[in-house]
Amino acid sequence: MKQLALSQFNDIYLIAIGFFLFFSVFIGAILWVYRKGSKKHYDYLSQLPLREENRT
Amino acid sequence: MSSSNDTNSGLIEVKYNDQIVRMFTLATIFWATIAFLVGIIIALQMAIPQLNVTGWLTFGRLRPLHTNAAIFAFAGNAIFAGIYHSTQRLLKTRLFSDGLSKLHFWGWQFIIVLAVITLPLGISQGKEYAELEWPIDLAIVLIWVVFAINFFGTLVRRNEKHLYVAIWFYIATIVTVALLYIVNAISIPISPFKSYIVYAGIQDALIQWWYGHNAVAFFLTTPFLGLMYYYMPKAANRPIYSYRLSVVHFWSLIFLYIWAGPHHLLSTALPGWLQTLATVFSVMLWAPSWGGAVNGILTLRGSWNLLRTDPIIKFFVAAITFYAMATFEGPLLSIKAVNSLGHYTDWIVGHVHLGTLGWNGFLIFGIVYFIVPKLWSTELYSKKMANIHFWIGILGILFYYVSMLSAGITQSLMWRAVDANGHLVYPDFVETVIRIIPLFLFRALGGALFLAGYVLLLYNVYKTIKQAPKELVEETVQIKLSHSAPVHPERGHRKLEGMAVAFTVLALIAILVGSIIEIVPTLSINKYVKTENKVEPFTPLELAGRDIYIKEGCYTCHSQMIRTIPSDELRYGPASTIEESMYDRPFQWGSKRTGPDLARLGKKYPDLWHYMHMEDPRAVIKESIMPAYPWLITSKIDFDGLEKRVSLFNKLGVPYSEEALHDANNLAKAQAKKIADVLKKQGVKGDMSDKNITALIAYLQALGQKGGE
Repeated sequence: MKQLALSQFNDIYLIAIGFFLFFSVFIGAILWVYRKGSKKHYDYLSQLPLREENRT
Repeated sequence: MSSSNDTNSGLIEVKYNDQIVRMFTLATIFWATIAFLVGIIIALQMAIPQLNVTGWLTFGRLRPLHTNAAIFAFAGNAIFAGIYHSTQRLLKTRLFSDGLSKLHFWGWQFIIVLAVITLPLGISQGKEYAELEWPIDLAIVLIWVVFAINFFGTLVRRNEKHLYVAIWFYIATIVTVALLYIVNAISIPISPFKSYIVYAGIQDALIQWWYGHNAVAFFLTTPFLGLMYYYMPKAANRPIYSYRLSVVHFWSLIFLYIWAGPHHLLSTALPGWLQTLATVFSVMLWAPSWGGAVNGILTLRGSWNLLRTDPIIKFFVAAITFYAMATFEGPLLSIKAVNSLGHYTDWIVGHVHLGTLGWNGFLIFGIVYFIVPKLWSTELYSKKMANIHFWIGILGILFYYVSMLSAGITQSLMWRAVDANGHLVYPDFVETVIRIIPLFLFRALGGALFLAGYVLLLYNVYKTIKQAPKELVEETVQIKLSHSAPVHPERGHRKLEGMAVAFTVLALIAILVGSIIEIVPTLSINKYVKTENKVEPFTPLELAGRDIYIKEGCYTCHSQMIRTIPSDELRYGPASTIEESMYDRPFQWGSKRTGPDLARLGKKYPDLWHYMHMEDPRAVIKESIMPAYPWLITSKIDFDGLEKRVSLFNKLGVPYSEEALHDANNLAKAQAKKIADVLKKQGVKGDMSDKNITALIAYLQALGQKGGE
């Protein structure tokens, strides 16, 4: 029973699933940031900390 | 509240809550002093054991105080100050609630005061960076929820549609820290001052380091990256180098970090697949970490001259550089071969201080120099002094790191040195300690330099605040409502909220994936490990001794885990198994060997040896740096509380006999008497049968004697 259980912990598929998940997140994020029309959007976002509002 | 609408012009007036930011900033500065001072005290105690003058000032109790103060008081207050300051400006709205802000502030300071009182008293759960007992844990969760409501409430009321990347990092921080802290702290109280964690042995180890490593990730990294993404562009007056990179940085970092915890348990009894997984993900972490660091530093492109002239930029760039160094070293130390050299040594201590002093400390100092003049509507008192602070601080960190790196590697090489006949060259552990004591002194010098630089900050801030106008007004700004935002046409208020919620859910999923894949299989491991290797539970008296072991923080210097590497097995015996610690709540595998491993200490020395060694270690081993514990000889065993403990453990699945369950008290007294009689025969004066030292001896003699090998 124990041997059976421990052998499952060496499950290469589990590790493969982890890899697959990560690389999909990574590739997904890269594709996402280069989506069409994103440049203008990101330019706007990157200016957010620098925009000083008028003090009253 | 304080914002008034002028719908005709699309302008609204927003008054920021700067008072709360001032309060958190001052709290940061105050607690930093305490954290650094305690750090220097314990650094000196390692070289000069006589400095462990009395119970509540011993290393084992002060070390948790130092780590908790540095993480939760110094870094914690700084995070709150920075998040509250930057969030209001990025979202163009006042904080959600003044009342919750105040409750957050005073609640957090109250928690810290409780920690400062309870930890030196030895009230501890015995889990690193999670030592605080259950009532304080509850208070922390409560105040964290207050913080979350205040933050997300602000998010809902925002006047800026889009969430800047810093806000993302803050959201991930709030959600993940809550999850980590609660899961790791689930315990069953037996009194207001004592509780036992529900997880045992390997499960506790895995959850503890899932928590411990991600405390580094989500308390000392993600919030600080958020702060970097706001304050670095602000100080340099240029946008972040690449916004796209920051998005990729965010998702890869939070997704990867959560997997890396088990790299604290390499070459232990932890199943191999988990160790491999942790190594792989830790090495992959190098990429997003450096992506973020490069992104921060390259923000300066085109204005590198600031690096010469502006002390704030100096602090920021140095902080990010230290972040890059620490996140290069981290993956390196997660490779099994390197880890077997570095683990349990001072190298790891050097590594974490590269992160806390260099990355967190310097980033905080930069932010303090940046926001204090703004918050108090004045100029910084002395730029020159800030510059001197910078250089003294750098020198301090270098002294600290280099001495710890060489101490760690030197000692580790001595531990594994084997002669031609296969014998250890340095069989006496203390030989390897003597060699590195001078380095301990250098380390203390490094810490003292770091503190000296910090004193300059104290004076500078004091003078700056003193020259501030008497009446501080809260910054009030006119905000143009965000329909002026150029990119997406307005799609209604709903969409705006939906994004933040969807984002939070996505971030939660990212951290849950790794957590579930790693932790869930191990939660059922108990089903499988019992049958072949029978393990006896600790007797009631040994349990009492174990409580003392945890109270005195023995785990801060001693491990109970013989790793699967030849030098460990040669020195301490066959590698530890999962079964041996299967009833241990909390697990005591440890993370540092300032003294030798104790997994198989039992029966190695006579009772009298332990008695004398506890009373005065240097009477037994001349060069020992262990503190003396003379109060154990006079303080009494709490026999009456034993039955409660035994029955609790029994309910949690530890197989105690009927006798132990119903007669724990007398059973313990009988065992104590046996030990006391032997001690008396060997010349110990006085009756030890009801003294704590006897319980501790019983526990130490039981280590490695319960089967399961």
